[in-house]
Amino acid sequence: MADLLQYTITGITVGMVYSLIAMGFVLIWKSSGVANLALGQLVLLFSWFTYGMLAQTGLPIWLGLFIVVGFALLLGWIIERFILRPLIAQPILSLIAVTLGMAYFIEGLCTFVWPWGVDVLPRLFPQDPVRIVTAVVSQEYLWAAGISLLLFVALSLYFKYSRMGIAMRATADDQMAVQACGIPVTKIFSRSWMFACVMAAIGGVLMSSIGGISYGLVETGMKSFSVVILGGLDSFLGAIIAGPIIGLAENLAGGYLTAITWPGVKEIIPFIIIIIVMFIKPYGLFGETRIERI
Amino acid sequence: MHLPAGIRNYTYAQDMAIFRTKTQWAMLGLLLVALIVVPLFMANYWLSIFNIIAITIIAALGLNLLTGYCGQLSIGHAGFIAVGAYTSAILTGQYEVPFLFGMLGGGLMAGLTGVLFGLPSLRVKGFYLAISTIAAQFIIMWVISQWGSLTGGFIGLNVPAAEIFGYQFTGQLSKYYLIMAICVIAIFVAKNLARTRQGRAFVAIRDNDLAAQVMGINLFRYKLIAFFTGCFFAGISGALLAHCYYGFLNPEFFSFKESILYVGMIIIGGLGTTAGPIFGVVFIRLLERLLSLELVPFLESTITVFPSGWASGITPMLFGLVIVLFLIIEPRGLAHRWQIFKNSYRLWPFSY
Repeated sequence: MADLLQYTITGITVGMVYSLIAMGFVLIWKSSGVANLALGQLVLLFSWFTYGMLAQTGLPIWLGLFIVVGFALLLGWIIERFILRPLIAQPILSLIAVTLGMAYFIEGLCTFVWPWGVDVLPRLFPQDPVRIVTAVVSQEYLWAAGISLLLFVALSLYFKYSRMGIAMRATADDQMAVQACGIPVTKIFSRSWMFACVMAAIGGVLMSSIGGISYGLVETGMKSFSVVILGGLDSFLGAIIAGPIIGLAENLAGGYLTAITWPGVKEIIPFIIIIIVMFIKPYGLFGETRIERI
Repeated sequence: MHLPAGIRNYTYAQDMAIFRTKTQWAMLGLLLVALIVVPLFMANYWLSIFNIIAITIIAALGLNLLTGYCGQLSIGHAGFIAVGAYTSAILTGQYEVPFLFGMLGGGLMAGLTGVLFGLPSLRVKGFYLAISTIAAQFIIMWVISQWGSLTGGFIGLNVPAAEIFGYQFTGQLSKYYLIMAICVIAIFVAKNLARTRQGRAFVAIRDNDLAAQVMGINLFRYKLIAFFTGCFFAGISGALLAHCYYGFLNPEFFSFKESILYVGMIIIGGLGTTAGPIFGVVFIRLLERLLSLELVPFLESTITVFPSGWASGITPMLFGLVIVLFLIIEPRGLAHRWQIFKNSYRLWPFSY
């Protein structure tokens, strides 16, 4: 019973970080129709960059994290301006492939700068484990969940009330109409990439402060794909709800299925969920079913 | 497209012909003779490069049929290659099936796996399909690396050398002839498949699958045929990789990165052309050799200021850069450049 509670709490909190990363994906998909397959690699890059800022240069934590967010904004802008902008109105195949090329490049970049491949971030959160009823949870998980929740709220408010946020929602709805209304669509695109990169960066910092930095972070980022597939590609609500479900499923499977199947079943559960969702409800729980016309 | 000067077509068959003039036939003959004769004078180093290029071409042709002609993006090609490689290795190694049947078995098994993971393509496309092929890659590699009793898991699996009618292909040169023969057959099949009823249906599906369906093309059938054929090629390539190149299998040979690289190859070469994958594979594999065997060790040994291993990041960085630049600057790939070159050669000295 204590185990179950433990898996549940860990699963839901980790799942919320997946949600956070997945929301960056949904944001880009909704506003510009680009599928960002470099998500995992971006998470890896930002984790290493944080490591570089905090451990290697030894900046104070607040300043280091500030620079990381700044770098994420800059990188998002660069990616949109120089890679995705020339490809506007190209077939979806090119748009997917270009993010794959980016993924390859970023992975090489991480090896280039930090060739040793495995390291730990300096401690960002207090260490002492917390007791919740019978389960013992390390505090980092709770911090991660709390920060994710806070960001959800902040983003929702931004989209609901700010001028730019409303423009972004409008772009997601109908690019042509928005362009006709005089809203600069390209600016919206670059804004959504910048936001997505910041979310990947925060997700990366949270994940790597829990589990250290390693190549496994790429797969963590890729697990967010199962979140968006389960939740529906174009639904923020879907991403928020599906994240904890995926986290829960993989932790429960890791806890109870490892004994009867092979080790590593925890890592593969999100991908199995992708295949199952594809067969049963391809557009996800909250995704809009696309009706095509010739 | 421009024809060579003085060519007139009087029948449909003439119009469809790939080789139209005696010169073209002669050049094809010369190429085949060169493929047979030149290796006799090559060192093993170059032979092994030729071998890996030819093996990769087979897999890339399959991916090109699936992605370039039928428009179904697959980012799990290395997974399907692994299925072929392991099936063939296990069939010949543990059940003592003859090599040729083992190879065909590997192709069939890879094809069927492809059909299984291609089933979602009937309801979804584009990004959804790409994601499900990524999932396929991870699930396949997980099964292979964990099913240790059959596949050897992380420790690896020894593969017997290819053997046909008692003749063992052990030397680089004999392997070369085996691989090249299969590669030439594969190119022939791929080129002609694209011109048949199936190939035309693939192109129609790529351009607009709804319109294709309205015109009476059975999407269910042709999409699965595309998945089967594409992955069958992958399986054959995997079997050759196992028996004739590595001689030893490890899940690490079939990583997700390798899958991305295959997509990169057909993009650099040119999607939806038969020459494309060949150009792309030659380009990428030569670059890979040059970088990982020449440049990286050189940089590692000359510049020692950085922590060890730093230079191995250069290869993926350049690959990523090349893929991105090709998509932005020349999305139709090297094959298109080659076409432009051929046309201007034919029209010279007139520029139009």
